[in-house]
Amino acid sequence: MITQMQVKGLMFDPYNNAYIVILRDDDQVEMLPIWVGKAEASSISLALEKVAPPRPMTHDFMKSYLDAFDAKVISVVITDLSENTYFAKIHLMYGDSEYAVDSRPSDAIALALRTQAPIFASESVIRKQSSEELGQWLENLKPEDFGKLDS
Amino acid sequence: MDGGSLQGSGPLIQLLVDRVVEDPATDTRIVVLARKDGDLEHFMVWVGASEGEAIKRALDTSLTARPMSHDLIKSCGEHLGITTERVVLTDVKSSTYYATVFLENKGVTRTLDARPSDAISLALRCQAPIYVTQDVWQRRSGQQLDAWLSKLETKNIGAQEV
Repeated sequence: MITQMQVKGLMFDPYNNAYIVILRDDDQVEMLPIWVGKAEASSISLALEKVAPPRPMTHDFMKSYLDAFDAKVISVVITDLSENTYFAKIHLMYGDSEYAVDSRPSDAIALALRTQAPIFASESVIRKQSSEELGQWLENLKPEDFGKLDS
Repeated sequence: MDGGSLQGSGPLIQLLVDRVVEDPATDTRIVVLARKDGDLEHFMVWVGASEGEAIKRALDTSLTARPMSHDLIKSCGEHLGITTERVVLTDVKSSTYYATVFLENKGVTRTLDARPSDAISLALRCQAPIYVTQDVWQRRSGQQLDAWLSKLETKNIGAQEV
């Protein structure tokens, strides 16, 4: 079973000096936080804000690489979580064949946002990540921790 | 492989990535490229920190636990049968370099506009040759920077010892 997720936003995690992509399901019941690096967060942020940079960024280049041969991103799926590392698959349609390419969730999400491809998470990933833990973490955040993406 | 030539300029010059140097003054990296023909002059491209690290990883052929962005592009190409034939540094405007990536699949060639950092990162991972046009070579910045560069590297080494 997989659940469709939407990218709700990006937050700065001051404790780990990293960024968190927040995914939520359409019913707003499940939440999946994914920790990503600065460059990946910046790429996702540009796509979320629909900012066109003067030069193609890496994921824009990735999109034009696939576009050049009419390969389509059908969907991306966050498939697994093991030892705090998330795994994802990018599903491509090329000619009459479908391909599943192993990827980090950050690349998968950055590409999905640029190709309007749906993002899914497997049931096991949602079950594995303890929302209780996230709840506690969120409670500890101070208002000034938000909106630091550009710093 | 013959890089061919672009209209209006001489033959392309093949470059090899020599090293990636940290510019301590800014949060950037300098990609130092050397001529394959043995000419001692260098070509330098300033890139962002994460772009520089991506090139360095390819140069060191260091493996990461998970595929990084350019490993993913390479892997997509392997699944779909797309070959990266060559990359060419084609233009420079207001100190910004422009690159073109030549791709091939089933006899069809496509060219993509790219930043030099993405082009070089992909080329290194796909063992594709890197070229610069005569025009861009002539207009390269940092022609006199070899001395500065060696000074910079000496300073870096010194800083690490502290």
